[in-house]
Amino acid sequence: MASKVCVIGGGVTGMQVAHVLSTLGVPSVLVEKSSELGGHVPRLSRTFAFFNDDGFNDGREFTSALERDLRSTSLPDIHLNTTVTGLTGESPNFCIQLSDGSSVESGAVVVATGFQPFDPSSLKEYGYGVYPNVITALQLEWMLNPRGPTGGKLVRPNDGKEVERLAIVFCVGSRNRRIGAPFCSRICCSYSTKQASTVMERNPGAFVACFYVDVRTYDRGFEEMYTLAQDRGVKYIRGRVSTCKQLPDGTIAVRAENTLINKPFWGEFDLVSLSTGMRPCKDVDQLSHVLGIACGPDGFFLCREWFRHPHDSTRDGVFLAGCANGMKPIRNCMIDGASVAARVAALLQRTAH
Amino acid sequence: MSSKRLDAKTKSAEDFVFKDHEGFEPLADEELVTAYERLRDEEEAGSHGRRYPNIRRLYGTPFEREKDRRETRAWARKPEAGEMQQWYEMARTKPCTWWLENHLLARHALKGCMACGVCTSLCPAAEFHEDYNPRVIVEAALSDDEARLVELLKSETLWYCGQCGSCKPQCPYDNNLMRLISSLRFLAQLKGYHLCSVRGRQQYAARHLWGGNLWNRACSLYFRNIDPESHPDFGPRHAQYHSEVDQQMTRIGANPDTAGQFGGRKVPPETLEELRRCVAGGGTLALWKQLEEYAIEEARRMGISIEEYYERVRSEG
Amino acid sequence: MTIPAPPGETMTKEIPANDFFLTPSCVLGAVNPGTEVLVSRIYDLLGLRWSAAGNRPGSQCTCCTGMPSHGDVISMESTLLVVARLWSIAAEMGFENVTTACVTSFAIHCECLEMYEQEPDLTERVDRWLREACGRRLQIPRHVVHASDVVYRYRHTLAQEFMRYRLVEEKTGRPLRIVDHVGCHYAKVFPEKSIGGSEYCDVLTGMIQAWGGDAVDYPERRHCCGMGFRQGIIRPNRGYTMACVLKKLESMNPWKPDAIITNCPGCNVFLDKEQWAIRELSGTAYDIPTLSYSELAGLLLGWDPYDVVGIQAHTVPVEPLLDKIGIPYDRSREWLSH
Repeated sequence: MASKVCVIGGGVTGMQVAHVLSTLGVPSVLVEKSSELGGHVPRLSRTFAFFNDDGFNDGREFTSALERDLRSTSLPDIHLNTTVTGLTGESPNFCIQLSDGSSVESGAVVVATGFQPFDPSSLKEYGYGVYPNVITALQLEWMLNPRGPTGGKLVRPNDGKEVERLAIVFCVGSRNRRIGAPFCSRICCSYSTKQASTVMERNPGAFVACFYVDVRTYDRGFEEMYTLAQDRGVKYIRGRVSTCKQLPDGTIAVRAENTLINKPFWGEFDLVSLSTGMRPCKDVDQLSHVLGIACGPDGFFLCREWFRHPHDSTRDGVFLAGCANGMKPIRNCMIDGASVAARVAALLQRTAH
Repeated sequence: MSSKRLDAKTKSAEDFVFKDHEGFEPLADEELVTAYERLRDEEEAGSHGRRYPNIRRLYGTPFEREKDRRETRAWARKPEAGEMQQWYEMARTKPCTWWLENHLLARHALKGCMACGVCTSLCPAAEFHEDYNPRVIVEAALSDDEARLVELLKSETLWYCGQCGSCKPQCPYDNNLMRLISSLRFLAQLKGYHLCSVRGRQQYAARHLWGGNLWNRACSLYFRNIDPESHPDFGPRHAQYHSEVDQQMTRIGANPDTAGQFGGRKVPPETLEELRRCVAGGGTLALWKQLEEYAIEEARRMGISIEEYYERVRSEG
Repeated sequence: MTIPAPPGETMTKEIPANDFFLTPSCVLGAVNPGTEVLVSRIYDLLGLRWSAAGNRPGSQCTCCTGMPSHGDVISMESTLLVVARLWSIAAEMGFENVTTACVTSFAIHCECLEMYEQEPDLTERVDRWLREACGRRLQIPRHVVHASDVVYRYRHTLAQEFMRYRLVEEKTGRPLRIVDHVGCHYAKVFPEKSIGGSEYCDVLTGMIQAWGGDAVDYPERRHCCGMGFRQGIIRPNRGYTMACVLKKLESMNPWKPDAIITNCPGCNVFLDKEQWAIRELSGTAYDIPTLSYSELAGLLLGWDPYDVVGIQAHTVPVEPLLDKIGIPYDRSREWLSH
């Protein structure tokens, strides 16, 4: 009887699942479509701060540590540049076909395919893709990373001048029925606050304004991070940004209403960062079809029962972990990965008898 | 009240009607209307087709307005005034909260609101009027609070919206704020709350300007309405153009006070009749009737004539 | 700066090739009547089948009631009926496609279409009321587009086969800098029914580019002109309109545009005519000729500026633009009574 687990997705969640399975003595096949492990995390400049603002200073530090742990045993069999092309059989006797021509006999499948950031080009009012000084949060993150294109300095893309005035726009592509995305992407308020706080820490004279609808820094330590950001001088203006317009020198004029004082706001910024919401990974439709599992109305994979079986997909033996199952911060992905690994290991143990 | 018999075909009838502002009040409704229509439809052959030389002396006059008043009342009493007119007359007596759930425009206008402020940030009226905030109007509409709604309908701010729709493309709830405001403004007038604001009172002038043009010329704006006296801001070139507007319009192929299909055209009575029946069929006369009653009452209260009241609300503010 | 092409696909829509019922406009008819007559001339030039009226005395066109509707003196149901009557005339004349001369009409027609979708029994009710009112039946047209959509569709044909002039400065070969001002009711009320959506609407930009010009981008490009229905027409309220016009002029001025092109009657009137008052009040003469797309097309086609295009109806003189392009004219023919 097969006792291997096929883990689809080599981001931090997939790595965690494979690693925890190893600690439980369960072998796995980790399938990652890109050329390296870690997913989105390696390009992050900071990971979410705990109480003392002492998260990792570079996402790669974290993913390298994870990868070391993962490769310390021979139990995970890692396939990079590979995708899943077919699934046959039923739990606990699956046969998974991979794009490299091989196939894997496995007792369970864990889908840890994560998410992709929303592309704000379709929201023409922000000028993304048209005005050089309008970027996305992930691009801001990479710019803040010492390994990034500017060595961690925040500069205007059009002329390289240092950024003194930064606008961070919340809810870009989320909480918007009009575009068919009524859901909240959960992590953006928190990562935006982290970014704003980082910028102020490095440049206390900067003017950083977060344009928010709500501040959903809800997890443990995040409210404290929000307070820290404000102590550092980040300005929070309650109003959704409606347009960004470029002035002759490339400066971006941002428009919103400051709803707490009922006044329209019109400000000029060196750089505007769009805190884009998240969408399910690009391959969600293909995977849903190949694996025979359903998605929810928000497009992410659907679990079978909300409370008691939150990791079970709608097909026996196929499990969901990490952001594929709904957006969550990195720490929660790690927790999720561990608990799915335990669930799967227990299942395999039962079926082995 | 004595009723003078009119012979609208003779010159003396023209003088009677046009020169003497108080001369036509004693006339019976039917005579007034008939005199107007005969004068309106009087034709003369022109180099570019049939011309109607009297329209320029009839439009926007106290005489035309009085005729409109009488006609509105008469039409509103007709049995074919119909279902929508009755609905509006009934709706007038209901609370504002009822209206928001039942009026065709209001029913689909709002799907909720997260108070994000995108509408206010894009609104040109909010830019120039410090006390105007469309988001707050949405909040009032969703509040289910009758007193707040009444306050809104009595306010000046309800009338600042320029109906541009800038608020529409970006609302994350896909709301139609522009039409919510149209709906609230209609209700404000039905209930008479528009009388509490300067801009609201202007609606009496609006009814006669657009409504009068529509009712009598099938077009909301008449080319002679854009005269230099009411549009001095358009400058001397416009004044020059306007002084020869008939010839200029004819020159480029339009139809100033003539039969035809382009600007300034005089529509045949059959078309006007169809149009009026469509307007009446949709219940608009309930509004016009109400506006007239409120105006007459206000004029009486102020001790002025209805025409003086009309001039006052047109230029106030 | 030139309007950049935004990333992704340009939202587009189906614009029929022929057979148009043309509904005339109130404001155009009253202030710039040349604009809508020119639309009919362009249709003739392209050999299109069109009509702006029915054949019987009872089936001439009326206003769509857009102005009274946004001016709050008419009920939505009355508007539905008046528009339904226009549609029935179109059907009577054998047309499935309606083109409106006015953008407010365009939004009103689209709003009626949307209401029939939102309200399940509205179609039946309006059909009954229409029958009772004037013996007509509700017949929903296949396409409702704005007249500028048609000119957009044929912009290359006009340029390549008919136009004698280009939006280019004759002496230097410099493409003229043209500001496009798209009516709010064309691009904002139903952005999905416009070409390009509300931010990067292409209907006028496409014409400018096809005719040799450079479409100017500036921060307030999408700001409303401020006509505002009751705000522009009722004199005490007109300060708002002037403020909007001034804001736009100030914003576009650094790029020294050679002209402003509009597709909305109201915008055409106020962006042009308020320039005089603004000069008197602020001392700044912007002097930017403001034309409708059909007036511009007429000029580039070589039609007579005064007899056919009617540029004399504009407050800001258009002759400097003609000079730049190299279109000849006889200024003494401007006014008819001296």
